[in-house]
Amino acid sequence: MNASMDATDACDLRFGQVGLACVRVRRVDAAALCDELERRVRAAPQMFARAAVVLDLSHLLDLPDDGTVDALLEAVRSAGMLPVGLAYGTSETEALAKRMGLPLIAKFRAAYEPATGAPAAVAPAPRSEPAPAPTREPILAAPASGNVGAQHHAGSVRSGQQIYARDRDLIVTGAVANGAEVIADGNIHIYGGLRGRAMAGAQGDEKARIYVSDFRAELVAIAGQYRVFEQIPGDLEGQSVQCWLDGEKLMIARL
Amino acid sequence: MTAEIIVVTSGKGGVGKTTTSASLATGLAMAGKKVAVIDFDVGLRNLDLIMGCERRVVYDFVNVVHGEATLKQSLIKDKRYDNLYVLAASQTRDKDALTMEGVEKVLDGLSEDGFDYVVCDSPAGIEKGAHLAMYFADHAVVVVNPEVSSVRDSDRILGLLASKTRRAEKGEPPITQHLLLTRYNPARVAIGEMLSVKDVEEILGIQVVGVIPESENVLTASNNGIPVIVDANSLAGQAYSDTVARILGEERPLRFIDVPKKGFLQRVFGG
Repeated sequence: MNASMDATDACDLRFGQVGLACVRVRRVDAAALCDELERRVRAAPQMFARAAVVLDLSHLLDLPDDGTVDALLEAVRSAGMLPVGLAYGTSETEALAKRMGLPLIAKFRAAYEPATGAPAAVAPAPRSEPAPAPTREPILAAPASGNVGAQHHAGSVRSGQQIYARDRDLIVTGAVANGAEVIADGNIHIYGGLRGRAMAGAQGDEKARIYVSDFRAELVAIAGQYRVFEQIPGDLEGQSVQCWLDGEKLMIARL
Repeated sequence: MTAEIIVVTSGKGGVGKTTTSASLATGLAMAGKKVAVIDFDVGLRNLDLIMGCERRVVYDFVNVVHGEATLKQSLIKDKRYDNLYVLAASQTRDKDALTMEGVEKVLDGLSEDGFDYVVCDSPAGIEKGAHLAMYFADHAVVVVNPEVSSVRDSDRILGLLASKTRRAEKGEPPITQHLLLTRYNPARVAIGEMLSVKDVEEILGIQVVGVIPESENVLTASNNGIPVIVDANSLAGQAYSDTVARILGEERPLRFIDVPKKGFLQRVFGG
């Protein structure tokens, strides 16, 4: 058994979820960008100095040429941050990232689509888990953008309907029917019965929780860890419960 | 004065939409209202059979939608009630023969002609025909059977009524939803073979407007082209009468939802 000599692998390859700040470029002006970021770093050096950031060019009308992108990246560096990739955009962005030798961070795909208004009540949500960010080192969580509150849904969610609360909690005052789906990037609170599916932490927040006052779910998921219920355990059926993640295990217990 | 538009819908097929449309329209006419009932099930025309006017169909709904006939030519007067008219579907066309503008034109025309109620008999499913039937509605009667697949489909329909209709799109007050439980068999509910009224109300989160007991009179009446509501002796007919009264705003207790108690003689002699 000479394999036991060298039982440990040279490395572990693991996916992790990390928060990452995103620099959304609104206009092509390297000097102004540098000034702006420098101000942020000075204001909160703990948060921003040497912070890994991704550059999001999707809000520009035209994708700038390679030289300009180089200048923008340099502006970020000289402000004291470390650009580690480009946020996902079009296939042009992809080609650009390849030429720059930078990774594309697919995680930002859903969150940075050029929708600036309030999220629609019923938005097509990413069905699968977003790919984890392939960053080299775990870094500080992305700065919280203040209290964004929660999305309220008055009444029931009917079969076939889908509610997505982007970047926030979701509160449903009625029931979620069989075949209905409620999804939130934050926590989910359901004050009626849950007979359909509930998915919290859709962008990978492992601290997200689901609270249900009458549990009969088809499926619950938190940050991609899910459980389906062909048969609802007798001690949970019809009870008020909460669901949370303990490591990679999805826990459900009566309240 | 505009006509109140009532859609009778369900999602699932075979639950009793057409039977309900016929009895609802007839019941409203019996209450003195001027009523038109339209068959939206283009290609699978049935309403004319249940209303007993299949041999009098000359022009149909599709003809009017396409401007090939006037409303007056196409409306078939009921043989029992003077204030009741049927607009039959076309059996030779399909659902694509209907257009949003055409349907709106027909409904507006009926309003102008002084109709109080227009009952729209929706086809099964959630595709074009069903969508057009519900789009302009003010009231919806969602027909549901006491079994799980029907209940789930009704739930889907309730969601569509709240989002894919003119009232929803224009932000007007929502459609008044009425849940009608048909084919209800109290004996089978008692032994757990069927969902109870309470189960269905709980799952769907709305109250029933009526419960129609399962009854052979329904089939007999349909085959004879007589809406079952006309048969005042049948339990189903009485239950439909109650339902129509409730839709018109009257309060009536639910009947026929418990297992009938056997009388003394029946208990002694069996039966």
